[in-house]
Amino acid sequence: MSKLNLVIKMQKYVVCNPEKCLGCQICEFACSAVKEGSFDPSLSRIRVVNFEPAGSMAIACLLCDDPPCVAVCPTKALFKGENGVIQVDEGRCNGCKWCFEACKFGAITWIPTRKTVAICDLCDGHPECIELCPFEGALTFLTLEEAAHISRREAIIKLFGK
Amino acid sequence: MFGYMGKILRANLTDQKITEEPLEEDTARKFIGGMGLGAKILFDELKPGIDPLGPRNKLIIAPGVLAGLPFPHKFSMIAKSPLTDIYGEATAAGFFAQELKFAGFDAIIIEGKAEKPVYLWIHDGEAEIRDASHLWGKATREVQRLVREEVKDDRAQVGCIGLAGENLVRFASVLFGFNHAAGRTGLGAVMGSKNLKAIAVRGTLKVKLADEEKVLDICKNSLINKEALKGPYWPNILTKFGSLVDLGSWQETGRLPTMNWRKCTFKGANNLTAENLTATILKRINTCPYCPVACNRVLKAHYPYDVDPDYGGLEYECTAALGSLCMVDNLVGVAKAFELCNKYGMDAMTTGVTIAFAMECYEKGLLTSKDTEGLDLTWGNHKSLVQVAEKIAMREGVGDLLAEGVKRASKKIGHSAEEFAMHVKGLEFPLHDVRGMKAHGLGIATSNRGACHLVVECDDTFMAAGAVPEIGLDERIVSKSPVYVGPEKAKLAKICGDLFALFDSLVVCKWTVYPCGGYKVETIKNVVSAATGWDVTIDELMKTGERIFNICRAFNVREGITRKDDTLPKRFAEPLPEGQYQGETFTPKVLEKMLNWFYEFRGWDKKTGIPTREKLEELDLGYVAKELESLGKLPTTHKRPKK
Repeated sequence: MSKLNLVIKMQKYVVCNPEKCLGCQICEFACSAVKEGSFDPSLSRIRVVNFEPAGSMAIACLLCDDPPCVAVCPTKALFKGENGVIQVDEGRCNGCKWCFEACKFGAITWIPTRKTVAICDLCDGHPECIELCPFEGALTFLTLEEAAHISRREAIIKLFGK
Repeated sequence: MFGYMGKILRANLTDQKITEEPLEEDTARKFIGGMGLGAKILFDELKPGIDPLGPRNKLIIAPGVLAGLPFPHKFSMIAKSPLTDIYGEATAAGFFAQELKFAGFDAIIIEGKAEKPVYLWIHDGEAEIRDASHLWGKATREVQRLVREEVKDDRAQVGCIGLAGENLVRFASVLFGFNHAAGRTGLGAVMGSKNLKAIAVRGTLKVKLADEEKVLDICKNSLINKEALKGPYWPNILTKFGSLVDLGSWQETGRLPTMNWRKCTFKGANNLTAENLTATILKRINTCPYCPVACNRVLKAHYPYDVDPDYGGLEYECTAALGSLCMVDNLVGVAKAFELCNKYGMDAMTTGVTIAFAMECYEKGLLTSKDTEGLDLTWGNHKSLVQVAEKIAMREGVGDLLAEGVKRASKKIGHSAEEFAMHVKGLEFPLHDVRGMKAHGLGIATSNRGACHLVVECDDTFMAAGAVPEIGLDERIVSKSPVYVGPEKAKLAKICGDLFALFDSLVVCKWTVYPCGGYKVETIKNVVSAATGWDVTIDELMKTGERIFNICRAFNVREGITRKDDTLPKRFAEPLPEGQYQGETFTPKVLEKMLNWFYEFRGWDKKTGIPTREKLEELDLGYVAKELESLGKLPTTHKRPKK
């Protein structure tokens, strides 16, 4: 049991800070280019939502511990891998898109050319979106603890100054 | 054809008919898109002398080959201008361009006039004209939200007019997305005259690229290398401060337009600097699609005015226009006036220059408090600044006169008001003091839009950016002092004019590329080549820019423009009163000298400033020469006919 907890603790997520995200959509370019070999925002697994003037934010798979998408998939095409990533067996996907309904974050993408869904797989540990995001701190690859630590630190700075 | 969708959408609002026509590859290669394509369509389809606010005017919206690529880009709106009665054009940014390409079109042509308010909805190869009576009268950002709801797509991009466009304010603008304005030359009034309240686009089609891998490679590497930010003039400063950072340097070098250009430094400048903005009213920054520069600002303030962050915030030109030019040193007042300009859809630059003109009229008794219905238009009165801006949008009281722009307003007022109406060819002067920048001044005098600062970049910028021999800008040309007068300046103006005409057709954002930004002309060429499959050289691209500059000029010539209209306001004959360039002037005599050199470099007739047949034929514009000749406007050669 403790080994599983350690895996969850060490898991890194693609985290978007809406206070730093400027909605440029370069992450969508990065993802579709590296995963689909093409620039096509509709094929990106990370999607930007603009809610000006308050800001914008990019959302990718949050690696739920108990993923509803995996639970509802009728062909067992989705499963949570050892590294926490939701993996897609494209051969098994029948395009029912029930997982779209299940995911509360809209983090699943439909790839029409291969008739399969696609989900952020963290690019084997080196997310391309983070590589190309030009704005420091907007997109980061962090564990839960690291992300929380940064938030705490920024909160303290806001309250008490540097 | 690669890099383009190969289709143009034509919407006739009178007949309520929408049709499609092909964009030929030959046309695309010759005119690229944006400004170039728009100019060609205007020249081909408009008869000279039509009323810009009548149904025969045509409004073109054209992105270029860069739209649809993950590369910073803009798009262009073109029509005959109701402010200047010549070539009208404005570029805007945001995702509209990409959505239009992905919807399947390289350009939209809007003609005729709708009986009742309408909006256009274009999506994935289809288009419809929809009722907009419930949107008429609403502010710009509200309209955008309502339309997005109606078409049920959060990613739909909407361009719309506000009350100023509906009221046919001659310098009304069109607002796209989150605060990208197609500001100058009154295109909002053209939309208003057609009862067209908004245009919405959304697309999921793909642009076919010749070498997609190469395009993606160039885009990816330029981001990793932060190439755009490696400009010599403003590395990273635009990100930190926005273009308002300019205000500080113009104040420092004694070239900050103040008191309608009577002064060149402003006592209140410290309140209007980017540093002060960042410290007091900046809410957050913003950027354009795929752009790492992030020069956009979002403001929020409460005292002495409530400034709504929904209408974005201040860059240099608008702040100087509404601030130092009017002697207003209250930053929140300037921000409020700017908010109203975006909310009602009016060009903020023109609004500021027009109000400064009104203030000078008020000072000289040419406008009395009776004319202004009690509004005190004393220099620096920010309350009046905000109130007059609103009156202009509503065409109320003195606002109705000022909504005509300084050229028409000054004519109406008479009594020497025309002497300090700061415009060229009817377009209000940009916020630069050309006594301190000679090539820039020549560019403004000869720009195809009228007084436009985006045709020849400031002399100082070229000095900092250095030479680019591939386009003819050698060390000798770029290194001259900003106030030097000589043929080198005219050559600089010619070459930059061609380069920027090319940029305005691709459509490149000038902050990202030479001379202001870090992208080299070479990089742009590589992206274009990889996207289109055309084996373009820099020479071909520069020739294309020259062609575009010339067809715009030809359009203007057909509307009556000649050398006599390539002028600068009289005020610049008076010496700069203070600062680093104290004593400098830009007299008509100096301008005449520079025009002579300029026309020679351009291959235009010296007497009339009209492109010669030889030049037009050299640029594959033989048919343009024929058209001008048939109207008796082509300069005759000086060769005696053979007996």
